[in-house]
Amino acid sequence: METHLEDATPDGIDRQQFLKRASAGVLGAAALTGGLGADRAFAALTKAAAQPKRGGTLRCGFAGGSDTDTVDGDNVVNNMDFARVYQLYDGLVAYDENARVRLQLAEELTPNKNATSWTIRVKPGITFHNGKDLTADDVLFTLRRIVDPKKPLIGAPTLAFLDLKNAKKLDKRTCRIPCHAPFGSFVDTLPNYTYFIVPVGFNPKRPVGTGPFKFQSFTPGRQSTFVRNGDYWDGPPYLDKIVMTDFADEESQINALLAGQVDVINFLSAPSIASIKGGGANVNIAAGASLLQFTMRVDAKPFNDVRVRQAMRLIIDREEMRRIVFLGHGILGNDLFAYWDPVYDHSLPQRHQDIAKAKSLLKAAGQENLTIEFVTAPMGQGAVQMAQVLAQQAKKAGVNIKLRQLTVTNFFGPNYLKWVFSQDTWQYFPYFPMVAFSSLAKSPANETHFADPTYAKLYKQGLATVDAAKRKAIAHEMQRIDYEKGGYIIPFFPPTIDAYSKKVHGLREGKTGVPFNQHNYKKVWID
Amino acid sequence: MATPEVARDDLVRLPASRTRSPWREIRALVARRVALGVVTLFLVTVVVFAATQVLPGNAAYAVLGHSATPQAISALEKEMGLDRSAVSQYWSWFSGLFQGDLGKSLANGEPVGSLIGPRLENSAFLVAVSGAIGTAIGVLLGLWAALRRDKPIDHVLSVTLLALTSLPEFVVGIVLVLVFASVLFHVLPAVAVLSPGQAPWDAPKLLILPTATLVIVTVPYLFRMVRAATIEALESEYVEMARLNGLSPLRVLVRHALPNAIAPTIQVIGLNFLYLAGGIVVVEFVFNYPGIGQGLVNAVSDRDIPIIQFTVLVLAAFYVFMNIVTDVIALLATPRRLFR
Repeated sequence: METHLEDATPDGIDRQQFLKRASAGVLGAAALTGGLGADRAFAALTKAAAQPKRGGTLRCGFAGGSDTDTVDGDNVVNNMDFARVYQLYDGLVAYDENARVRLQLAEELTPNKNATSWTIRVKPGITFHNGKDLTADDVLFTLRRIVDPKKPLIGAPTLAFLDLKNAKKLDKRTCRIPCHAPFGSFVDTLPNYTYFIVPVGFNPKRPVGTGPFKFQSFTPGRQSTFVRNGDYWDGPPYLDKIVMTDFADEESQINALLAGQVDVINFLSAPSIASIKGGGANVNIAAGASLLQFTMRVDAKPFNDVRVRQAMRLIIDREEMRRIVFLGHGILGNDLFAYWDPVYDHSLPQRHQDIAKAKSLLKAAGQENLTIEFVTAPMGQGAVQMAQVLAQQAKKAGVNIKLRQLTVTNFFGPNYLKWVFSQDTWQYFPYFPMVAFSSLAKSPANETHFADPTYAKLYKQGLATVDAAKRKAIAHEMQRIDYEKGGYIIPFFPPTIDAYSKKVHGLREGKTGVPFNQHNYKKVWID
Repeated sequence: MATPEVARDDLVRLPASRTRSPWREIRALVARRVALGVVTLFLVTVVVFAATQVLPGNAAYAVLGHSATPQAISALEKEMGLDRSAVSQYWSWFSGLFQGDLGKSLANGEPVGSLIGPRLENSAFLVAVSGAIGTAIGVLLGLWAALRRDKPIDHVLSVTLLALTSLPEFVVGIVLVLVFASVLFHVLPAVAVLSPGQAPWDAPKLLILPTATLVIVTVPYLFRMVRAATIEALESEYVEMARLNGLSPLRVLVRHALPNAIAPTIQVIGLNFLYLAGGIVVVEFVFNYPGIGQGLVNAVSDRDIPIIQFTVLVLAAFYVFMNIVTDVIALLATPRRLFR
């Protein structure tokens, strides 16, 4: 802004000078607004004026919950549980806005030379909501609680490497945990939603954590409330209270937001963006890297022939599918997962639709005019639509896909992981944890029944490698196998679309597919 | 609709043997219907339980969600008692009922009573208010239209209400929300979310649109019945006789036409309440209202058998009860016997 406007007073300046300065000022202001565009200048002014305000209640209308809701930080099940646990708890590490893993409660998290032992030290001066100090005892209690053989929690299988029986406390804040086998990806595994730190003697009915908000009330399937933690170690939040209400239907979420009954809503569909903006609310379209992939069982006909899998990956017109289902939002995919992981191989050539090549591959495999069933369910925004577009696109290559749509409960029932040609959806995981989770013979979520011995050997090598560059090289070799022979088709990473009232400030997008940057309301305020 | 028998109280005296009290007959009717009702309820719970066994998946899958492992599933199934035989599971629920134990939700372990109680209260209030308002509007409009039959206002009313009744409930609800809450005007709440512990009568503004939806959906049928019954009663011979005898139009209407129009009207009012008991499922979905309909939808999705069983039992009991009440009132209102 031109400063001499403020100086210019009629007294003490002659008329000519005043007019000269005034017009220069006016021109300057016009240039400013003209150059930036009137509403951007206004936004710049209001942004400068918008200062964080203490107090207020954030009312959330969230989808994804049900009567199975929980507030146990180590037993998160449904999508709305994420929203709750990120307020109550912290992890040893956490994703930042760019899906990079950063230290959170941990001050140090280092392996020994061959990744057969990990040393964890927590930051000093952190207290739980009940006033108790965070110590190494709490870390060990949490990990042991998760893998307790009498009642293993959801994150237990991936911690199988840790030899917690022989874990030792070195001092108040430090412990050392040996491993049964090299476990180089321990850090990448921990930001998962199932490893929040709870205190010794944790009681899920009166949940206590180190998080920015404290537990106030919880009714599964209906509502939960949280209040400000004034002693939060990373600086107390601006908000006084958060109220989260379960919503079953996107339509009622949107209506509630536009009528002013809630302030933030999540998991919206692309077609709703226009009407929400038109109704006067803001929309976050996060370029997340959550997965909504197609799955082909590599041990069942016809996909046991790798040529059929490769053909299927070439049949898909990724850009067209993304345009139709997500209005062009989302990041184009290349059949590889873990997009934000530094080890992701961006050098592999981007696949596009190639009907001719697909047809010749199918012919070579003896699968011309293939007819096959595809099982779909509304497991996430756009899932069923993606299946419908796939069926349309496949016709061009002579492949006849018969869609079978189930309810979500039926889909994830006893036949889950048995479907030959289907879909699945996951939050973002870094590369090695995702492999452990989905692409090894004993993986808990191996939809494709992928079990390549070379791949498994490389994975083991990667786990035992502490050097970052060497791990990246191994990961690239593995991704070559994913790219050529894998059972996934990852046409794109769908956007995470959320919306909020104009009076809410400080919300970020994030890249993991969990709304609002992992439900980070620490620096959010309301007008 | 049966033609009501002629009320001959002003004209003929019947012998004393025909003047006994209707209460004995009513007591017998109620006893019979209650006994049948209990049997019906039992059968309903058996059928619904059988249906839950046929559905793929169970509560263990719902609780463990997407990340379930086979070991976790079988461990949880054991904890939930889902590894027992169907008969054994049903029997343990059934016998628990008689001891006052409604069971615990499989989804979250809370007692069924504490989960369903507030929902039941919320839905009952919504049904009562919508039913009362709908009944009043339907009856008054029906009477008014009958008195102005074949005049333009009667035609307009009939056509409009016919159009409204052909709209599905969720269309009515969503249109109301778009007009009054979220798009056109912003004068009413778009969703009727009650906080846990908040009573519906403490938040009347939230209930305006859900109630309006239910009223719009149920008034037309009642209106048509009341109008038709009243017109028929007004056109009957004895009413004409009463008019010819010089009785005032109001007395004709109230003493002679209405009593014969009441019986079929009561049936329809009862049917409307029954419809409301089922129809709240859609309204509770559209308005995110924490009632028993929403609870049932959640429970089915989560295969939460104790919740499903008890909710269905309550709804079926309401149906049986309303049927009995409606028939008793209709019996009392049908002037076949003398009450003096």
